[in-house]
Amino acid sequence: MESIEGEPGDFKVTLTSYPRYIDPIKCTGCGECAKRCPVTAINMYNLGLDDRKATYIEYPQAVPLAFAIDIDTCIGCGLCEMMCLAKAINYEDNEKKSTICVGAVILSPGSEGFDPSGMDVLGYGKFANVVTSEEFERILSASGPYRGHLMRTLDREAPKKIAWIQCVGSRDVNLCGNGYCSSVCCMYAVKEAMIAKEHSHDDLDCAIFNMDIRSFGKDYEKYYNRAKDEHGVRFIKSRVHTINEDSTTGDLVIRYTDESGQTNEETFSMVVLSVGLQIPESVTALARRLDIELNNYNFAVTDPFAPVNSSRPGIFVSGVFQGPKDIPGSVTEASAAACAAGTKLAEARGTDTKTIEIPAEIDVLETETRIGVFVCNCGINIAGVVDVPAVADYAATLPYVVFVDQNLFTCSQDTQDKMKEVIKENNLNRVVVASCTPRTHEPLFQETLQACGLNKYLFEMANIRDQDSWVHANDPEAATEKAKDLVRMAVARAGLLKPLKEKKISINRRALVIGGGVAGMNAALGLADQGFDVVIVEKEAQLGGLSRDLTVTIEGADIQRYLLELVDRVTGHEKIQVLTESLIVGFSGFKGNFTTEIMVGPGMYERKIDHGVVILATGANEYKPEEYLYGQDYRVVTQIELGKRLEVKGADDISKVVMIQCVGSRNEKNQNCSRVCCQSAVKNALHIKEFNPDAEIYILYRDMRMYGLLEDYYTEARQQGIIFSRFSQDNPPNVEATDEGIAVTFKDHILQRDISITADLLALSAGMVAEDTEELASILKLPRNEEGYFIEAHVKLRPVDLANEGVFLCGTAHSPKLISEAISQALAAASRATIFLSQSEITLSAVTARVDPDLCAACLVCVRACPYEVPRINEEGVSEIDVALCHGCGICAAECPAKAIELDWYEDDQVMSKVEALLEGVL
Amino acid sequence: MIVAEKKPVEEIIDYVKDFKKLLIAGCNECVTVCEAGGKKEVGILASALRMYFLNEGKKVEIDEVTLERQCDHEYLEEIRDRIDKYDAVLSLACGVGVQFMAEKYFSTPVFPGVNTCFLGAAEERGVWSERCQACGQCILGETAGICPISRCAKRLLNGPCGGSTKGKCEINKDLDCAWQLIIDRLKELNRLDDYEKIMPIKDWSTERAGGPRKVVREDVRL
Amino acid sequence: MRINYPGTIRIIRLPCTGKVDVIHILRAFEKGADGVYVVGCLEGECRFSNGNLRAKKRIEQAQQILDAIGIGGERAQMYNLSSADGPRFAEYAVEMTEKIKKLGPNPLKKAKEKMAA
Repeated sequence: MESIEGEPGDFKVTLTSYPRYIDPIKCTGCGECAKRCPVTAINMYNLGLDDRKATYIEYPQAVPLAFAIDIDTCIGCGLCEMMCLAKAINYEDNEKKSTICVGAVILSPGSEGFDPSGMDVLGYGKFANVVTSEEFERILSASGPYRGHLMRTLDREAPKKIAWIQCVGSRDVNLCGNGYCSSVCCMYAVKEAMIAKEHSHDDLDCAIFNMDIRSFGKDYEKYYNRAKDEHGVRFIKSRVHTINEDSTTGDLVIRYTDESGQTNEETFSMVVLSVGLQIPESVTALARRLDIELNNYNFAVTDPFAPVNSSRPGIFVSGVFQGPKDIPGSVTEASAAACAAGTKLAEARGTDTKTIEIPAEIDVLETETRIGVFVCNCGINIAGVVDVPAVADYAATLPYVVFVDQNLFTCSQDTQDKMKEVIKENNLNRVVVASCTPRTHEPLFQETLQACGLNKYLFEMANIRDQDSWVHANDPEAATEKAKDLVRMAVARAGLLKPLKEKKISINRRALVIGGGVAGMNAALGLADQGFDVVIVEKEAQLGGLSRDLTVTIEGADIQRYLLELVDRVTGHEKIQVLTESLIVGFSGFKGNFTTEIMVGPGMYERKIDHGVVILATGANEYKPEEYLYGQDYRVVTQIELGKRLEVKGADDISKVVMIQCVGSRNEKNQNCSRVCCQSAVKNALHIKEFNPDAEIYILYRDMRMYGLLEDYYTEARQQGIIFSRFSQDNPPNVEATDEGIAVTFKDHILQRDISITADLLALSAGMVAEDTEELASILKLPRNEEGYFIEAHVKLRPVDLANEGVFLCGTAHSPKLISEAISQALAAASRATIFLSQSEITLSAVTARVDPDLCAACLVCVRACPYEVPRINEEGVSEIDVALCHGCGICAAECPAKAIELDWYEDDQVMSKVEALLEGVL
Repeated sequence: MIVAEKKPVEEIIDYVKDFKKLLIAGCNECVTVCEAGGKKEVGILASALRMYFLNEGKKVEIDEVTLERQCDHEYLEEIRDRIDKYDAVLSLACGVGVQFMAEKYFSTPVFPGVNTCFLGAAEERGVWSERCQACGQCILGETAGICPISRCAKRLLNGPCGGSTKGKCEINKDLDCAWQLIIDRLKELNRLDDYEKIMPIKDWSTERAGGPRKVVREDVRL
Repeated sequence: MRINYPGTIRIIRLPCTGKVDVIHILRAFEKGADGVYVVGCLEGECRFSNGNLRAKKRIEQAQQILDAIGIGGERAQMYNLSSADGPRFAEYAVEMTEKIKKLGPNPLKKAKEKMAA
């Protein structure tokens, strides 16, 4: 991206496309070019650990699946051009400039791993067996340089002991200037250790050298505990001093100082440097060109209350460019940015959409079965190994096959046009294509069927490329036989296929938001600003939720002022209806068509609301401590109470404060970390220092989890003389009330003795507890975890969706989080909901389960086995599966003891026809 | 519901190994619900037996059928026209169905494919437990809805015995003491007085002690 | 990735291993397959929540039956991998092929020949 000119809603973006030398549109991804390329180059996808060709594709899952020429290493021999039957090679390709007009821009340029070459003491680049975590990730990968075998780089020996060194390029102002925490390295190190143990054939010893373990994400603490307690991963609290190599063995000797101050040495066969995330130079240059403001670490500057808005209006940011974060956070933020951009583009929605005309479907059930088989050469990809004419001849002998053809590239536009003619001319009513994988090409061929008036489910593919010619290249004869088998199997199934109807359901374009806190209100605005009607249901008399008790963010932003503005915008919005003192008492329907019964206060009259989606934003509360004299002595308060007190009374009257972390978190009752309490403590401590610079403040913690840019505040707190002292879970501080104050005794691990402080005030960093949603969850049939937080559909890939379609999740109802994170997530939920709300109807897959009521014994097996709780026993006393809710996995069909359930398109006889065709004549 | 368990394939093979034409008959009631003898299990067993016989070099024909219920004449009649084709029937119904089949088709050997276990409930998918012994004189009204006949190892009417420890039965520490359950529930219902009442000696004549039982309902008889 | 693996296997596509039933596996052996293996997502990573765990139990059930009737339960196996695990797919194909080669052909083939003779 060269430049962005213009105003929000009307940007002109100038792009430079660098030459690929292979036309990605013509390229079929066959890879013949790379196979013939005589030049070897370093494979940077595997971080230089192995080689590739000059003609290459970065990795097998790359999108687009098209090759390119690495012109720096290409010798211009012309072999690839000669081999390419798709005529995609173009040595004359050159840089092209283009401009596009858009209304908004989202920047997600990402980050790079920190390069530790400059850190002499760690030995990277000097000692072969010191690798970065990114390299180790490739080593562990099945598609990596060692094919997933755990080996060290020097001698390809299996390591017996591996050490991870945390915070390389993070939390380090001295050596690299990256004062922030990269947020992800603790968790990936634990994961790498766990996977390495899995891959190792011996009892691999894994040790992670760390300052703090920052497992602050949802359920991360449980994973950390499992690694520690069940899998024996060792966690050593230490910043490593130096790494030296034993030159005879290649082993590495780590010198480190432990918590008691003693210097130790330990030898490992391999060392992994957990490198942090860093904004690359190319991205800072981009930001400069686009006039986007960056902070001192080159992350985009954003406001805590507008976390995806860059400094330039109409340009939004997401991912690590916004600040260090993990995959769930990045995916969430990406959706949030899409929502923020979408609100500005609502008017233009759908204006560029083109619709395809589909002719009426031909009835095929009453006519005789006529199968057409199209065998693809895929250039020489298939034909170079498989005897395609022989396969085509064979196909012609199979039952019901009335037409066979072979094509150079079946997927090419001209072949598709020809195929349409052939289908019509020959009255084909089932089509088999023997070519590549349905994963990429099934939709294309199905469209061709539809264009001929054939139902798209009358189609079957035989994968004679990926599953045959590509993997049996050295045995053409066997490959040809296999191709015949695959075609015979496909033809057998095709003969049994029936047309299936894809149900269309209309969408009610109104959203219900449950919970009127910061998250709920932001989600509502995200939708209402795009023109959708929203109803917010709030059980309290006022909007605001937990944030009504909060004062400022750690960055100093005024929460109450923000809240006031937010409530004003919500209540004044013509598309938003707010129901306060309201309770949900009934819920029915499915995605796009829900009905919710609500008792609306204060009169408690009943209302029924029809809506298309639900956004859950039920929130969480501060834990009410039972520990450390809370509630018994007025001098013991929680962080929220302390925050309020500072707002009202300041801190002139407090000279000594002790804070205890992890109260109600990371214990047996609540295993998880509450994420926000470390920063609450530091925030309040810094405030006290502002009011009263002489105040003595002690923060007793287990791990300081000042992730991301919060780390700066932790550094500042230490610089201001706030004392941080670590305690272990099995030896918590002892608290006693005396007339002089609250006496707190704890063990200082450097002095190795107990210290007693008599404080004016003891602040407990009480964790977060999910709002009580037991009843709501049972009414809406939604899954919650042990701690009462709702469970998302997929932690990484679908972080704000619930498995129940049409239901979305945001804010602290998902897990504890900061306000800015809750706002991001709220926008993300709104964005995901928009996918439903932006269309008047949706088409469902026809691959769904169906019950034969005559056979059903109402045994409840399907009801219990369905992962989505779809089947129910209806009024007739038999199981019924709502196709609008069915996900099409087929578990119920396999489990049904009465064999009363079939999964359409995968009916038992359709599946078994393939087995029978394959094994025809064997017995 | 009647709860049954699949018999081991080996045992079934032993029954039917000498026949040439077999009918495997499932039942679409209790044994389907407890996943022991429905259409699915019929298919699995038929396939297994076909392979067994072929492997043994025997030519055996195996057909499959699943009847709505094997404890009703009308449903059993559905196979009357072809029953003579078979040397034997393997019934996956409960003991009732197997016997009814045997009574109806007197000259065809009928073998059980499941072990009928008890009258019970599905605690969860895959876990069934006994709740009733069909004693014919229900006392649940006196015992807080918890049956000491089926759930107390000693069938005590005035329990618990001295072997009740921490709410568990002495014969098995995983087994709740039925009388503990009864007392707990009486307490909950505020009916502990019932516990003080001595229960008279039970009339066991309606149970097995009176020989095989029969219910005749003149009001519904045709 | 085009990694070579033995030409001994033919793949049947299903939406989820949760769709696999005991009878599907038995029927394949009944028709003469020498081995059957089911490849699903990694445990805990099922696209449909728990289909692969259901499949695992059904494979175990099929194995027991195959053992009981003299075909051999080892001929049926379950493997788990991620869609990015091409090399492992090939490894499993090799492993399964070697296992079946060691066990020899489906005993029903010999039995059938004997009967024909």
